Amino acid sequence: MDAEIYIDNNSFIHRLDPRVKIIIFLFTFVAILLFENPLWMMPIAVLIVIQIIISGAMVNMRRIRYILIVLTVSSMILWNLFATGDTQLFWVISVESLSFAIARTLLMILMISTGMILITSTRNEELINGMIRLGMPYRVGFAISTALRLVPTIASSTLTISQAQRSRGLDLDSGNILERVKKFLPLLVPVFISTIRSTNIFGMALESKGFGARKDRTFYMVLEMRQVDYIVLAIAFVFMLVSIIFAILGYGQIEGLVRF
Amino acid sequence: MSEPVVEIRDLQYRYRGQKGLALEEVNLSLDRGEFLMLMGPSEAGKSTLAATFNGLIPHFHMGKMKGDVLVMGRDTKSHTVAEMAEIVGMVFQDFEAQLFSTNVELEVAFGPENFAVPRDEIKARIDENLEYVGLEGVRNRPPSTLSGGQKQKLAIASVLALKPEVLVMDEPTTDLDPISKMGVFEITHRLCKRDDLTFLIIEHETEEALFADRIALIKDSKLIKVGPTREILSDVDLLESLGVMPLGIPKFFKAVGVSDLPLTPDEAVKEFKSLGLSVKEDAYESMIADEKDALEKHTQPLIQCQNLSHTYKGEVEALKDVSLEINQGEMVAIIGQNGSGKTTLAKHFNGLLEPTDGEILVNGKPTREQGIFKLGQSVGYVFQNPDHQIFSEKVFDEVSFNPRLRNFSEEEIKERVTEALKAVDLEGQEEEDPFTLTKSGRQRVAVASVLASNPDVLILDEPTTGLDYSEQRSMMNMVRRLNENGSTIIFITHHMWVVAEYAKRAFVMKDGDIILEGTTREVFSQEDVLRDAFLRPPHFVEFSHRLGFTFLTPEEMVACIEGAEN
Repeated sequence: MDAEIYIDNNSFIHRLDPRVKIIIFLFTFVAILLFENPLWMMPIAVLIVIQIIISGAMVNMRRIRYILIVLTVSSMILWNLFATGDTQLFWVISVESLSFAIARTLLMILMISTGMILITSTRNEELINGMIRLGMPYRVGFAISTALRLVPTIASSTLTISQAQRSRGLDLDSGNILERVKKFLPLLVPVFISTIRSTNIFGMALESKGFGARKDRTFYMVLEMRQVDYIVLAIAFVFMLVSIIFAILGYGQIEGLVRF
Repeated sequence: MSEPVVEIRDLQYRYRGQKGLALEEVNLSLDRGEFLMLMGPSEAGKSTLAATFNGLIPHFHMGKMKGDVLVMGRDTKSHTVAEMAEIVGMVFQDFEAQLFSTNVELEVAFGPENFAVPRDEIKARIDENLEYVGLEGVRNRPPSTLSGGQKQKLAIASVLALKPEVLVMDEPTTDLDPISKMGVFEITHRLCKRDDLTFLIIEHETEEALFADRIALIKDSKLIKVGPTREILSDVDLLESLGVMPLGIPKFFKAVGVSDLPLTPDEAVKEFKSLGLSVKEDAYESMIADEKDALEKHTQPLIQCQNLSHTYKGEVEALKDVSLEINQGEMVAIIGQNGSGKTTLAKHFNGLLEPTDGEILVNGKPTREQGIFKLGQSVGYVFQNPDHQIFSEKVFDEVSFNPRLRNFSEEEIKERVTEALKAVDLEGQEEEDPFTLTKSGRQRVAVASVLASNPDVLILDEPTTGLDYSEQRSMMNMVRRLNENGSTIIFITHHMWVVAEYAKRAFVMKDGDIILEGTTREVFSQEDVLRDAFLRPPHFVEFSHRLGFTFLTPEEMVACIEGAEN
């Protein structure tokens, strides 16, 4: 019952400097946001899929597949309702709105994927360390990493709690989505309470180990940029630059799209 | 005499929003290198007192504090918790929540990092402390993959890396198996001698208190008595009246009429021989024969496992080829180290888990055919942590949850709730909010809510963990009563004395397999096998072994003794 998000694969991506990974993460966001046309998003999509495969993030993507499915369905419906174009297909759906909806859906999924790749392949400490070296204050970095750390804790306590409730006759496995959601609601009380209890101890343990005792702080973990890090960074930079140039030149937009 | 390391003067504390005082008139001082054990019933103020040592009180908890706490001359009121961290280390009971790094080394590094210790020095401290607690072999592993005992040792190492003068541990071994427990105490014992560290440890288990120099007893927010270990542990009546478990050995010798009480098995054997006592063989034999007869009355098989195996998705086998049989009306214990597969096994009994290989029959039918909803009616499961079960605002709603799901009439529901609450001694508390009850109260509510469905079998996962001695006793007495009224009881526990006094049969698990089973007496007579499974019988049982017998309680041994004056 391992609920950790970080997967210790030691892949090529795992070995990259966390700063490089964080920068690539940000570059990817920019590159994704540049285009409206799903075809123009394909290169970045392919790159992300390759990264998912190399880093082994597929395991984590599978874990959140229900969320991804819900997002896909709702976004496909919404963007078709909120955009339209000249080439009517059927009902409210036009070719333009359809491709825009695909692009927007892709945008969300790619953003989630690139985030997932980052946290699958980067240890919590590396992540904070990287963020701090890139100029983020220590406390902010620590807060982010604590939030990430809570995810597996909550997931595993949710599992225990749902087992405890099933043991006393709560039938969580049948009924339609609405009924199931209703049945899950009572579980939230123990989940919240046990999370609050454990964060309370976490807080005490943190202070008891001198968190924030001094203004400056040593970092035991040393980050070192290797040649390969610079190369990857350069490739990512060129990729983003080229994307921006194409976007400025007007490529990758959908003609005749009308947004409300 | 040198200056005391810790000095507490007229300490008084009240948590915000609470009427009663959590600490009252506490005066205490600890000398350098002293090991003080703090014992007392639940809610007596033990953790509160511990939290004043490093300033968590008054800085972290909300409340009103009067009086002074000085550690190495530093007043906790005018220093932050983080500042105090340099001189006072703190280890908590919950080993999951106090570790937050993804790597053992980094966990140890965290403290010194905060104090801007140079990197080379941190490295040296990591090496030193990991070696000291015996974790150098796992230095690159994520803490989440360690066993409970290892996690707690890591917590100690990470605190030691700050080179504190005082080490405070709040029930560090409550969730650990007996051998891991000893491991932790063995470390503290060594530390005591090495560094002149000063210790304050809160414990329920009296056998571990033998390591301490002094014991402080606390009840109802007040220190009742502080004295040398031997003196306190010999005062069997006082301990019992405070709800602290007395040791079996002095209890036995007190019953025999000795005034200068031995405490350890070594002393006990010597004393026994010098008194010219002996065990009546025929009484012993007839006791064992009675036990056999009682067991043979239970013939109807209820739970049968045949070569049961379970593998969690993508992980190692948690259960390997387990075969066992539990009959109707039995009271059995499942014991073993953390992670030996006890809970995984028990979760098969009510269909929560299904075997990945082999078969499990409940009432003669495979569990996979019955399903958890149906099986849940005849097999009740009380989880380890009551807070994982309880979600209602009223005890009544909580206990009526199951009967309501099964569509009983309002009248019958009421009847069942009343009955279940009566069984757990919570009569008339239907309108209480479960979250305002004590841990033991919540545990009882959890048991009652399972009882309300009238199960034939009751499985209890660690029913006594986190309770004090008198609560443990009354919990187990209640469980025994249920057993006498016909319920089959299966419980998992780390508390060996609970097994000794309450279980009729025991299964010992190790690495997903049952390595020993038999009557509790038979199981406890195999000290070597037990040690192999990271278990050890209570001192009292060990003492009786040395005489060539296996007695489980002082009472039954007293009944089989001859040669004393009375």
